Amino acid sequence: MPDFTDHLKPRYNGAATLQAERNGSAICVDELSQHLLSRDCFLERQEKIVEVLSQEKLFNKSQQLGLSRVDRYHLGLARAKAIQRIARRQGWDHDDCMMAEYLNDEMSPYHLHMTMFVTTIREQASQQQKQHWMPRILNYDIIGCYAQGELSHGSNVRGLETVAKWDPVNNEFEIHSPYLTASKWWNGSLGRTATHAIVVAQLLVPKQQHGKPSDSLEAGYENHGPQTFIVPIREQRTHQPLQGIVVGDIGPKYGYASMDNGYMLFDHFRVPKSALLTRYAEVSDETGALVRRGHPAVVYGSLTFVRGQIIMHARLVLARAVTVAVRYCAVRRQFRYRDSTAASGACTELQVLDYPTGRIRILPLLATTFALHYTGEYMDDLYSRSREAIESGDFGPLAELHSASSGLKSLSTTLVADGIETCRRAMRGHGFGGGSGLVGLNAEYLSKPTVEGDNWMITQQVVAYLIKKMTAVVQSPTASPQDPTDELFQSFLKRRLHRKPQSVFDPHGHLDDQAIVDVFKWRTADLSYRAYQARLVEKNLWTRLMIQLHNLSRAYSEQILVTNFHTALHSTAGSLSSPTPDVLRTCFRLFALYTLSNSSSSFLLTDSVLRSTLTMLDDSILELMTELRPHAVKLVDSWAIPDFLLNSALGRYHGKVYEELFNMAHRKNPLNKVTFNPDWRSEEIVLGSGDQGRHILAKL
Amino acid sequence: MAPTPDWVKQLKPSGSQGSELLVAERAKSDIPVQKLHELLLTKEVIERKQRILAILKSEKVFDKSQNYFSGRMERFERALAREKKLQLLKRKHKWTLDEFRTASELVGEPGPYGLHESMFRITIAGQGTPEQQEKFGKAAEAYKIIGCYAQTELGHGSNVRGLETTATWNSQDKTFTIHSPHLTASKWWIGSLGRTANYACVMAQLIVEGKSYGPHPFIVQIRDMKTHEPLENVHVGDIGPKFGYNTMDNGFLLFNNVKVPHENMLARFSQVDPKTNKYVRHGSPSLIYGTLTWVRSTIVMQAGSVLARGVTIATRYCAIRRQFQDRDAPEWEKGENAVLNYTMVQIRLLPLLAATFALHFTGKGMMNLYQENQKRMNQTNTSRESNKRGAGPEETESGSDILADLHATSCGLKALSSTIAAEGLEVCRRACGGHGYSSFSGIGPWYSDYLPTTTWEGDNYMLTQQVARYLLKSARAVLKNPTPTNDTTRILSHFQSRVNIGCAFDILGSDEDIVAAFAWRASFLTFEALKHRDEQKKPWNDLLVDFYRLSKAHSQYLVIKNFYDVLRSGEIAQSTSPPLRTILLKLFQLFALHTLEQEGSEFYVSGACSKHQIMLARTSAVMNLLKEIRPHAVRLVDSWGFDDWVLDSSLGREDGKVYEDMFYRASELNPLNKVTVDPYPESEVLFKKVEGGYGKSKL
Repeated sequence: MPDFTDHLKPRYNGAATLQAERNGSAICVDELSQHLLSRDCFLERQEKIVEVLSQEKLFNKSQQLGLSRVDRYHLGLARAKAIQRIARRQGWDHDDCMMAEYLNDEMSPYHLHMTMFVTTIREQASQQQKQHWMPRILNYDIIGCYAQGELSHGSNVRGLETVAKWDPVNNEFEIHSPYLTASKWWNGSLGRTATHAIVVAQLLVPKQQHGKPSDSLEAGYENHGPQTFIVPIREQRTHQPLQGIVVGDIGPKYGYASMDNGYMLFDHFRVPKSALLTRYAEVSDETGALVRRGHPAVVYGSLTFVRGQIIMHARLVLARAVTVAVRYCAVRRQFRYRDSTAASGACTELQVLDYPTGRIRILPLLATTFALHYTGEYMDDLYSRSREAIESGDFGPLAELHSASSGLKSLSTTLVADGIETCRRAMRGHGFGGGSGLVGLNAEYLSKPTVEGDNWMITQQVVAYLIKKMTAVVQSPTASPQDPTDELFQSFLKRRLHRKPQSVFDPHGHLDDQAIVDVFKWRTADLSYRAYQARLVEKNLWTRLMIQLHNLSRAYSEQILVTNFHTALHSTAGSLSSPTPDVLRTCFRLFALYTLSNSSSSFLLTDSVLRSTLTMLDDSILELMTELRPHAVKLVDSWAIPDFLLNSALGRYHGKVYEELFNMAHRKNPLNKVTFNPDWRSEEIVLGSGDQGRHILAKL
Repeated sequence: MAPTPDWVKQLKPSGSQGSELLVAERAKSDIPVQKLHELLLTKEVIERKQRILAILKSEKVFDKSQNYFSGRMERFERALAREKKLQLLKRKHKWTLDEFRTASELVGEPGPYGLHESMFRITIAGQGTPEQQEKFGKAAEAYKIIGCYAQTELGHGSNVRGLETTATWNSQDKTFTIHSPHLTASKWWIGSLGRTANYACVMAQLIVEGKSYGPHPFIVQIRDMKTHEPLENVHVGDIGPKFGYNTMDNGFLLFNNVKVPHENMLARFSQVDPKTNKYVRHGSPSLIYGTLTWVRSTIVMQAGSVLARGVTIATRYCAIRRQFQDRDAPEWEKGENAVLNYTMVQIRLLPLLAATFALHFTGKGMMNLYQENQKRMNQTNTSRESNKRGAGPEETESGSDILADLHATSCGLKALSSTIAAEGLEVCRRACGGHGYSSFSGIGPWYSDYLPTTTWEGDNYMLTQQVARYLLKSARAVLKNPTPTNDTTRILSHFQSRVNIGCAFDILGSDEDIVAAFAWRASFLTFEALKHRDEQKKPWNDLLVDFYRLSKAHSQYLVIKNFYDVLRSGEIAQSTSPPLRTILLKLFQLFALHTLEQEGSEFYVSGACSKHQIMLARTSAVMNLLKEIRPHAVRLVDSWGFDDWVLDSSLGREDGKVYEDMFYRASELNPLNKVTVDPYPESEVLFKKVEGGYGKSKL
């Protein structure tokens, strides 16, 4: 309906402002986009899929934020199905479907079917099992999920309570939940969607020789630890749970509204022998004993892979938040310049991005997107290198891979989750509104710091590894180094007693990039040595050291980010056209100095830097931000996040922030279609409904 | 869904039961919970809460079981029904204002009458003439009109001078024309405006004979009293779903040359004389911002208890949750360890537990300061001449030292305390591991409703400029005349007197020295900033980050000082036993040393302490405090006295039945489990069976 608001314009023209920003930088956006996103044809694929999805009404995102949980799942399932049907119509491959899910930007109820379910079958099933299951999975004749976590056990698989008892008489396993806390919990796609589940349960096999009787539940059985089973859970036709299984959705969460995370309990539920995935372990027909083959550590391989993916994903998520924040803060004006004279600056207010308090929140995060990128690439290489070794039977690299992946997963997801929130707050009031596009993003992403291993808990893996490395180097300081960590520790031990704190500035006051890398390395080595001392020499309790060790993990991972970024400046990024390499160098310096400034005590206490470095840091960071500022809009443009994915009034490419915000509130908001009765004397809620509030009470 | 089978009903959580674990936790400590509870809230408030809670629990409309499942529309409808019921109960039980506020606080969600109750009525009372109070105030009190407070706009937040909405004086017919010249002039974010209010107090630029006199408040009718439809040339609606606050109808509002009579401009402090058409100001403009200052003080006070809710939930759950075996545990001890025994969980939760007390006592101190100030200002105000200076939130009159001190502290402490509380809640949520992500944790929804506090009523970063400006002014005053007139000038002057002598604070041996070290660092940063600004003539904007740090440092000093002063006060000495005082003192030390250690490099660079002291604080003092406070953690959160109905959390239940409750909510209360789906992609059917029926798709 037309009204007088149709002709109103914002006071400042957002589109012109962004155009001016883009004119002010010579960065070649397309070239930088290719540099960042050409892996696996990401950019072309993104373009192709956006084209299709944005034409389907079902993928219109304007209403979803206001929907109830049931409606969100309903919508989520509709979209998941639609993607599969479109995929068949358009001939999409697996990567295309994953791209569609990424762009659709909500957890699909099929997500676990396409990821952990199929991966587990592929990696842990025998050839024969694969032949049976793979066609059914790929054709969606069955829908699967991955049921590992339980009500009282998350990342520690050894503590799982669900048991699978081997019954040699009937040649069956009996899956059972002895306690309420054995209930499977949080498992995606399980609540309403899946027909089958990979169930991780403690395998109990009857003891060969009966020992003395015990009153425990496991009397007469030997526990072989967690094993994976494929289990049908719902009836094919009615989709009702099978007899002996109770399964459902666990309820609303911070985010993930479209996903049916589920719970599941078993009452002596029987499955045939073939349910156990047997690539690495099998119950012998002859002896009834468990026969293992291959290395069980490979089970953790998929977890490590998932972590690697999380890091690659993290950079795009942060880029998205930063895109919205940079564009909006370029358009948003606030307050006049305090030092300006009345004549020069009285009329226009400053862009928020020109306030150091605006910049200091956003620009270091912009630099962080690149830092994560170059380490993501490094991780990808490390994974494929290690994977080849593992497949060929060499499990050596798993330690370094696992430790690096856990520390980096922890750091990068924390950086990104906090970064989204920082961007959201830097946009102040409007950041809180649904129009920011960061409301949903924040809610979805916040699960990351606690899934696939809690960020605080998994860092223990890194430090255990570093302490082991340091111990080895202390014992044989001249052995030939196996990897960069060995080299670092060896050189640390040689110089430990006579090194002086270092400056990151050269004698002329210019930044010295190599010195920056060196202080990050020194800090890591020093903290590793202290951890080694505290644990192995002074024999401190592990729990008492946990905080110190957590800081070490962070320092180690920060050092990886800084080192990889620095290396990339000289390799891949160096060949880009001017001024991009220089701008990326500024990003590198800003990221490093900002990180240094946030942990300045740690650098100081490890004698990594001079006190004078700290006093020069603030000015230096301000200067770097001034250098970076003109390129900010083009740098976020280079991440090529489509408007369809941003789903943000504040962050749209064209900069029409206020028009779009108003449009969302005024024309797309269902609450405005209802007139309420605000008088407390009347129990009627919707004006003219005359129901005296019964509608509300009926739902309680 | 089929009814829960018996074999499920009979299942228990494995190992030690949550209820037993909490009993054991409580047995480990001898903290007198009730005593501490009374010290925090007073007997009177506790009694009031219990009485009102009983009433609320007996009304079906306040049933919370579906809160976490509903969509925006349903939540808003229900919130409106609850607001109406509260008004009914208020009259039925003849509640006082305090009792009514307690009831709203216990319901715990922002309601559609919220801004009518607070800002609309308060603004009329504070800025209206007696006649206006009679006309608008009375009608508002009786809910004959329902109002809101329309200040911020689409393009402008806390900078009131930048507002675009205009109110132009028409000398012919003695009216004002309210108008929105741009789209960005749209009022935005205004609570209670979207669907509920029929009146608004609109802040608009007053224009008289072509000259602008800055923002002023106007009472404007916006909806028809009978049909509740917007009046002609008024365009109003709800702004849509948000991160939190979804029970509130935050709204937008545009005017197309709408005329209001002369009497609708609130005229206690300034008016347009209808005879001469001249703008006249009378009374102190600083009072206009008194409301904002009061709001900020309550925010500081609330921050403690807001955070305490998250800390209560996380502490209880972490005392029950077990994960991983301790690496040093002997082979035969197979059980997993309660995560609260891990130092890396303690270092996240226990300093926050300490912060709840620190913020609470600081808030208490501020409220006293506010009341004292209010009294004095009312006394001096009557004698004050009219003031020609334009008003602005950045430049309030610093007539009295107390006013200036209060204004600066309210900004800085509001910024610091709401940041500590908001970030602390998120830390609590993450400390709960995976289950923290579930709505049933009770922390997530609470966090999202609290978050606007960090951006509303002045963005935390922006507010810090006001503090810095005040501190620089004080420092300049001290350089001219070192005789202190208030606490801020006292610490600055002390620092200045020793700037060439230095200091030696025994931060690990003496509590007083901790306070002194915080004062020293704040003073050091003040004079550093002054040097940058006055000697090196750096542009103001280049110093904003320095100012942010300075404000934070000064506010941290204030919290430390207030907390310490309260602990040494007569009130505490009378009402607490020595062991309780010892624990409170340890909480003070933990909060102070943990903060100091986090900001270690600033303390070191300022010379307040040595590198060695910071290292010892980190590796020894803080660690020992964690160990000493750990046994008392559950009792300390108990003493905040949150009722389970208020917490609405599976993880934070007082009886520790964490897993039973999680399971109950998932399987019994969850409407999604009434749905049977068709999961196969080739079928267009989505929900093939829904118990109790289901509406059509809402896309």
